[in-house]
Amino acid sequence: MELTTARTPAPPAAAAPRRARVSGWVVASGAIAIVMVAPLLALPASFFRGGVGFDTLARLLLPDALRTSLLLAGGVGIGTLLVGGGLAVLISFYDFPGRKWLDWALVLPMAMPGYVLVFVVLGLFDVDSPLQSSLFGSFHIPGIRTTFGGICILTAVLYPYVYVLGRSAFLGQSRQTLEAARSLGRSRGGAIRSVALPLARPALAGGVALAVMEALADFGTVNLLGIRALTNAIYRVWNGAFDEASALQLATVLLTLTLALITIERLLRGRARYNQSLARGDAVEPQPLRGWKRWLAPVAPCLLLAVVFVIPVAQLVAWSLETIREGTTVPNLRDAVWNTVFLGVITAAIAPVIAIVLVYGMRLHGSRTNRVFTRLSTVGYAIPGTVIAVAVYVPLVWLDRRFVDFADSAFDASIDLIFTGSILGLVFAYLVRFNALSFMSTDARMQHVDPRLDDAARSLGADRARVLADVHLPLLRPGLIAGALLVLVEVMKELPATALLRPLGRDTLAITVWEATKDSRLDAAALPALLIVLIGLVPVIVLVRLLRAEGWTSAADQFG
Amino acid sequence: MLASLIRRRWPLPVIALTVVVVIVAFMLAGSADEQDDLVVYNGRSHYGDEQVFRDFEKAYGVDVVLRGGTGPELYERLRREGDATPADVLVTTDLANLWRAEESGLLEPSTSATLEANVPVALHDPGNHWWALTTRLRVPVVSTKRIAPGEITSYDDLGDPKYKGRTCLRTSNNEYNQSLVADMIAKRGKAATEALLRSWMANDPKVLNSDGEMLAVMAAGDCDIGIANHYYLARALQENPKFPVAPAWPDQDGAGAHANVSGAGVVKGTDQRKAAVALLEYLTSPRAQRAFTDSGEFAISPSAPAPEGLADWAEVKVDPIAVAQAGPLLGEATALMLSVGWN
Repeated sequence: MELTTARTPAPPAAAAPRRARVSGWVVASGAIAIVMVAPLLALPASFFRGGVGFDTLARLLLPDALRTSLLLAGGVGIGTLLVGGGLAVLISFYDFPGRKWLDWALVLPMAMPGYVLVFVVLGLFDVDSPLQSSLFGSFHIPGIRTTFGGICILTAVLYPYVYVLGRSAFLGQSRQTLEAARSLGRSRGGAIRSVALPLARPALAGGVALAVMEALADFGTVNLLGIRALTNAIYRVWNGAFDEASALQLATVLLTLTLALITIERLLRGRARYNQSLARGDAVEPQPLRGWKRWLAPVAPCLLLAVVFVIPVAQLVAWSLETIREGTTVPNLRDAVWNTVFLGVITAAIAPVIAIVLVYGMRLHGSRTNRVFTRLSTVGYAIPGTVIAVAVYVPLVWLDRRFVDFADSAFDASIDLIFTGSILGLVFAYLVRFNALSFMSTDARMQHVDPRLDDAARSLGADRARVLADVHLPLLRPGLIAGALLVLVEVMKELPATALLRPLGRDTLAITVWEATKDSRLDAAALPALLIVLIGLVPVIVLVRLLRAEGWTSAADQFG
Repeated sequence: MLASLIRRRWPLPVIALTVVVVIVAFMLAGSADEQDDLVVYNGRSHYGDEQVFRDFEKAYGVDVVLRGGTGPELYERLRREGDATPADVLVTTDLANLWRAEESGLLEPSTSATLEANVPVALHDPGNHWWALTTRLRVPVVSTKRIAPGEITSYDDLGDPKYKGRTCLRTSNNEYNQSLVADMIAKRGKAATEALLRSWMANDPKVLNSDGEMLAVMAAGDCDIGIANHYYLARALQENPKFPVAPAWPDQDGAGAHANVSGAGVVKGTDQRKAAVALLEYLTSPRAQRAFTDSGEFAISPSAPAPEGLADWAEVKVDPIAVAQAGPLLGEATALMLSVGWN
């Protein structure tokens, strides 16, 4: 990395007298935070339109939806803890054939959105499917359209969160701790239970919390399986009954639930961070298994991987080839690809700019206000896309009407809807939702930039702008690119906000898969579904490479 | 580029704003429509009859821009666009969508001698806000493997306790179901309809996302009786004559099978009124009607030939939806369905 910033030491500018004023950075990050958060803060106002309390539809739907969402969240929490935590223990403490590649391969299911897995499962299940190339014939899963089926699907795609965080926690544990427990008479299994697991508890809980939040936010899986979760209830009230107030009220409930979950997780974790500083080679050595156990151990992880990833992907490939050969794939696939890429690129281009403003503003003015603003502007990542979509929609419609009326009265011109008629509203929703991704990865880089570097550059006569341009930007570039890439991928996979906010005819790949699955036009969706998995694989492969190159602990830091 | 701008002392927020404004301008420029085109919001976009619109383009010499979406999406879109809408014609499925559009003042009356001749009186809005394009029946469908012919003879049979756990319904979010129930409320009264729906719910039906999915689930053996629009089944049978599901025509001794319509109307404030009416005339003409019946729906003209292979189906006694009464009951129907637990 070049640090030679002072090629031409400019003479110090005539020292301008410094006036005390509100910094532009605080104003900028404050404005960003307000724009990002105001729609969410305004959600509870829906309870006070015409009387106080729930509207009829919301009242009718709420009990069932709330119960289902909680059941789903609880089930996914337990499921991912057992599967992800169990696998992390197995891989961390025991050695057996195939362990090395299972170690990273177990992360792969992360690439598959729940709705794509649902599509594959329903496709296999459909006995009258026009698709011939079913790898295993078609088979019958009676309970798939139940809450339990939804829990299974979501656990299958979300357990890697727990696995990755648990694995890195176990790797961060010192061998001596475990050996101390052994020397006190515990068996290895007993030592893992009484020492290693409790030490990893904060990490495992963090992983479970992430998985549960994803489960609460999920729309595609519950919608396609007909599960009455809150996200599904919001969608149907919005799009079938046209009851704006009810939808906003249900969204408020879901928002509260999500925020409560974050708070509980924070409180439970408290300051419990059992970090041990490890010297190299001090980490736990996996113990080779002997006898039949040695051969049994890889069976479960391999089966799991086969069922939730290898077979579905192979099936998607087979179906895609068939539909390409027979020309039955969705007719406007090219448009869908273009729309997906277009939305992704636009959002990924704007997100880093916002990230720089926030990160640099924090660096220059690490005031309390500024920190609060910045924290607020990244809260959207924890909030379901459905909630964000309905929350931003109402103010945008209002703005649109103002613009239309203004154009009409001032210029006697009729203009299109600016926000809700174009992709602008959708891009805004994406930014609210995914801003945290580009912020975090940029901020992580910025933390590593020594403040003395700024001072050195300033003392050589560079003003702030030059420090940013010539010192920080080159150093931040990897973080900016990584953030933009994450945003790009997330936007291209996104379903719930896209389903509610996309302009007419702007169908993305995710929408194509969702609509075709809803209508049982399964042959139309195979190729788009495969493309989504390939897109989703990009960050997972980057993560896997990080894990392999830098070791689990530091990689998981960047990931978490 | 960014670095050099910053080096020239452009404040970053200004740069950020400029970038955003440029992108926005770029996007808006792309969204502008040509004024002379006929913009059609097309709720029939999944029916594969785009060719009809292409034929009209050639016949009439106007460019047609089709924007597809579901009925509810198009309605929501039109409502929020108001006078600013670029749409000239709304083509949509189901009376519920037509009625909601008319009720919200999104359609303007249109008529012509050709339209009057093409469309029977019962199949257009008395105020001429919309004109039906096709009719479709929403009827019980049964598994041929597990239900004997003649076993199911009415909508009420879905509530027979002996079919507990064997029925399936599409979600109550769907406008076809909303129309069906609104029509029932109009004709049977609210109490009787609620009792019927409760008996349906007591059988613990599977709730599915679409008629197509319902047929797939029935073929897979997971459901024996459902309610679907007839043309979904017609298409499945067209592809596979051995498809193990058959229609069970309801209430043939009584009212008949619930018949609904898909239709079209001229969007209020259009600047293409002439072309818009011409499109309606074309869509209701025998030539375009053939394209619709090819996909299993019934033509609006009683004299038109039945869809291929569906001659018997066209003989069924039908109970046309009570347009004027059912429309205002749609909201009540939706709430009723939810309150009995039909999700």
